[in-house]
Amino acid sequence: MITVTINEKEITLEKPITVLEAARSAGISIPTLCYHPALERYGGCRLCLVEVEKMPRLQTACTLMTADGMIVRTETDAIAGVRRGILEFLLINHPLDCPYCDKAGECELQDLVEKYGPTTGRFKEKKRKMPESLEDAIIVRNMERCIVCTRCVRMCEGVQGASAIAVMERGGHSHIEPFSGGKYDCEYCGNCISVCPVGAIMSRMHRHSYRPWQMTDQVETICPYCGVGCTVTAQVRDDAIKRIIPKLGSPVNNGLLCSRGRFGYEFVGNRDRLTRPLIRKNGVLEESTWEEAIHRVTQKLGEIKEKYGSSSVAGIASPRCTNEDNYVFQKFMRVTIGTHNIDSTARTGYAGAQQFIENIFGQGATANIISGISRSDVVFVVGGDPTTVNPILGLQIRACSRKGGAVLTLGKVSGLRYFSPHALDPASFTETVLLEGIVTELKNRKELSGSHSSLESNIKDIAVSVEDVIKECKIREDDFHSFITLLSEASNPVLIIGKEIIQSNGASYKLLLLSAINYLINGRIYLLSERANEQGLLDMGCASDLLPGSRPVEVAELRRRYERAWHVTLPDKPGLTLFEMIHGAKEGSVRAMYVMGENPLFNLPNSENVKEALGNLDFLVVQDLFMTETAESADVVLPALSWAEKEGTFTNMERRIQKLRKVISRAGKEDWRIISDVSGNMGVSFPYDSAEDVFAEISKVSPLHRDLTYDDIEEGEALWPFKGEPLRGGMEISCNKGDGATESGKYFLAIDRPLFHSGTLSRKSSALMRLCPEAVARISSTTAAELSVTDGDSIRISTRIGSLSLPVFIDEAYDGSLIKVSNNFRGKGVFSLMEYSLDPVLKSPCMDNVIIEIEKSDRHVQRDPKNDSEVKK
Amino acid sequence: MLNETAIKELQEIRSKYPSARSALLPAIYVAQREFGWLSEEAYEAVSEVLGVPKAIARGVGAFYAMYKHRPMGRNIIQLCTNVSCMILGAERLADYLKSHYGLVPGGTTEDGRFSLVIMECIGACGTAPAMLVNDEFYENLSEQYIEEILAKFT
Repeated sequence: MITVTINEKEITLEKPITVLEAARSAGISIPTLCYHPALERYGGCRLCLVEVEKMPRLQTACTLMTADGMIVRTETDAIAGVRRGILEFLLINHPLDCPYCDKAGECELQDLVEKYGPTTGRFKEKKRKMPESLEDAIIVRNMERCIVCTRCVRMCEGVQGASAIAVMERGGHSHIEPFSGGKYDCEYCGNCISVCPVGAIMSRMHRHSYRPWQMTDQVETICPYCGVGCTVTAQVRDDAIKRIIPKLGSPVNNGLLCSRGRFGYEFVGNRDRLTRPLIRKNGVLEESTWEEAIHRVTQKLGEIKEKYGSSSVAGIASPRCTNEDNYVFQKFMRVTIGTHNIDSTARTGYAGAQQFIENIFGQGATANIISGISRSDVVFVVGGDPTTVNPILGLQIRACSRKGGAVLTLGKVSGLRYFSPHALDPASFTETVLLEGIVTELKNRKELSGSHSSLESNIKDIAVSVEDVIKECKIREDDFHSFITLLSEASNPVLIIGKEIIQSNGASYKLLLLSAINYLINGRIYLLSERANEQGLLDMGCASDLLPGSRPVEVAELRRRYERAWHVTLPDKPGLTLFEMIHGAKEGSVRAMYVMGENPLFNLPNSENVKEALGNLDFLVVQDLFMTETAESADVVLPALSWAEKEGTFTNMERRIQKLRKVISRAGKEDWRIISDVSGNMGVSFPYDSAEDVFAEISKVSPLHRDLTYDDIEEGEALWPFKGEPLRGGMEISCNKGDGATESGKYFLAIDRPLFHSGTLSRKSSALMRLCPEAVARISSTTAAELSVTDGDSIRISTRIGSLSLPVFIDEAYDGSLIKVSNNFRGKGVFSLMEYSLDPVLKSPCMDNVIIEIEKSDRHVQRDPKNDSEVKK
Repeated sequence: MLNETAIKELQEIRSKYPSARSALLPAIYVAQREFGWLSEEAYEAVSEVLGVPKAIARGVGAFYAMYKHRPMGRNIIQLCTNVSCMILGAERLADYLKSHYGLVPGGTTEDGRFSLVIMECIGACGTAPAMLVNDEFYENLSEQYIEEILAKFT
């Protein structure tokens, strides 16, 4: 116990904290500028100086640790004089252009000068001149206002780990600058903007279009982009989102955001949003009324169901929609239509991988707390770059490394290059051998404990010698051994699995090996998730083989619970998976499809094939925000409300259920309400008036979500395993080694998963489009040399099913013969070139063996985002 | 890009320090020598070899006034004009450099042969005026002596 006296008030502390923290905990305010709770302590601004008895000179409260018996005074005449003096110094160069500065009203310097500062300065010298830098597309820097508190630099280096900015020069010339002076060329997390106490680093979005006090509303909700589920605060003026800011202390992201979360909200107000239902008449989509559109859907679905049976109708749910939307949709498919033909793009990797891992370790094996990653001692990353797929999770890995943890990666991970000294980079298509080698070595060192018999029986015969691994994978023996040592000696390791490995040939066998590694090192698994509610949609039963609460469809005893709740008899066999639906549509067994918030024509590999399949349908309904590729070929298009316009819940990758709150209002219907209307029209009425009503039913029907209420969620008590009953693991394992055949090509096509884009939503957000305006082919400098191309040149990439001409982007942080193309831009998606085979166990596509032909094409003219119809609002 | 000898030299420097960042100052000198001044390429080269983010490398370099932050001539004359040197005629010498070589403080000759930097005391007050040419020290300067010295540098 430590007792300190601050301003005659006695404070008792459990453990030593700083004088500043102690004072603030007791409600005593001490002014600060360079201090920020998320950052390393600095003691640079000297505003927090306090008097401490028996200590000579004033002390900085933000760095001084409390000690027993300490007597501190924070408000004496001497301190007031010093504060005034410091503020006077800070204002020597500060332009005091508050009337013009966007920060005015929430500027810490302004507040402090108003409270403590001198009203006049005594310095006669001219202020330093540094013109405002507008060179960057997103971030505007005004170094005249900068007070060099270095919060931004400490954020960028010590928290974000991007180290894109630094203090340049010294003394009166000190200023903050990105490496190349003007443009940032960074991760654009904008966390420097969050921590800047003055108007020195600001966002260009909505520049000079609002004052902080003019915001009419401020709503805390959940980010619509990836599966991390960051808390965001949306600030609103006149029913338009003006900015997104993070919140300190929020459970997942604790005051941090990434580029998509912070700058990617503009799709909400994009003028391309669909506003009225559309019906295809004489081959053309025409505007109509809700009544007519719903009538048409009802009539056509009814006819097709009548004529070809329930199983001729299929539904594709959305990982961008809420739990409530997805629950109602699967209930509609199962109850109103009478089929388990409901699936989603989670089938492209996440769903299969999770089920596989849960069959071994039990439900919830991947529901691990993201903030725990930074507290582990070894992080093993396989199959992707977490810093672009799930940026905030990526920061946890960087934090782990900074605290002394070891970062191990399979292959080179660009976003961890300053954090991962331990990378094993196996030759193409030899990951399996390497993983077998790791399992073999770990077995030798750790011995099988016998606690998981089915897993052990699957791995007991795996034996690949170190020599073979070294030879086949072409890695160094030292590297391999130090890798194994770190893994086997880890006390609190985590394993992070990305899509690159799930979408590769023999994925289920690789997952078995990864599960074995996880078992042998006693680690925790994280599955990277690209969509905000990918986990939630699975938990809601939007999978052809799972009922809400992730209960298998085939087990009659489990099925009965739902039959009783919904008063129906459910089919006893699983429905069609996503790829089976496409196949079914192509060959005519699926006649109608209902697509909610998804774009299969763009988001599934071999788009031409999907197009043909969907074209073959008798009836296609699409519910979306925008006229997507899929909507264009629909018979009825229904406009839905976006994430910002509705209530509901998302379940993130750690299976934390979080509340979405309505930020702005807009005329229209939520996805669940549209489906309820259709269902009611088809004679099965759903009794919901609000998203909360839907959730009330979920918590009755799903054994996982039992008794959970919106109140619990609001209070943050909706963490795995909620109040429900997870299923145990230890099931029989079947896996498939793949055919092992790799075609010999010089170059292979791979999916780029860029930091600035997610596809359908991000390409309607002008800030993200400014950061990354067009599709590129990302190649290594070796490949560039071989093709004799440089930045700005274009190449034509052809596969057996298509070809694309794209400008090249030479990525220095990346090598090898892979050509990476993203799937974000209309007409330029990598999936239009991607053939795939299905993994028989995971039912997900394998896309790691796509050979391409490359030729140099005409020089590329950069597209001007200002004249881009997709960006304009 | 750096040649292989320079890369080896950087790696050698790196091995003498506990962390990559602590090797930055001597490493930046090597890059400065190779590129002539601290251009973006110079910092990028240091960043790549040491594995330190390039903005950090530039931030460290930019702090120090004695690095070359702009392109400079092949030889750098650093002339002291502090009290002793000034009294013994350093300013006259600066005028001489201007009239005979076209060198103004902070400037470079047209042929790129010399750059002139006026520097603070180099501790040669007893033998003033004094200057450095590159790393070599010269004292008791006169116009004639300067001409002799500079003739040695091409």
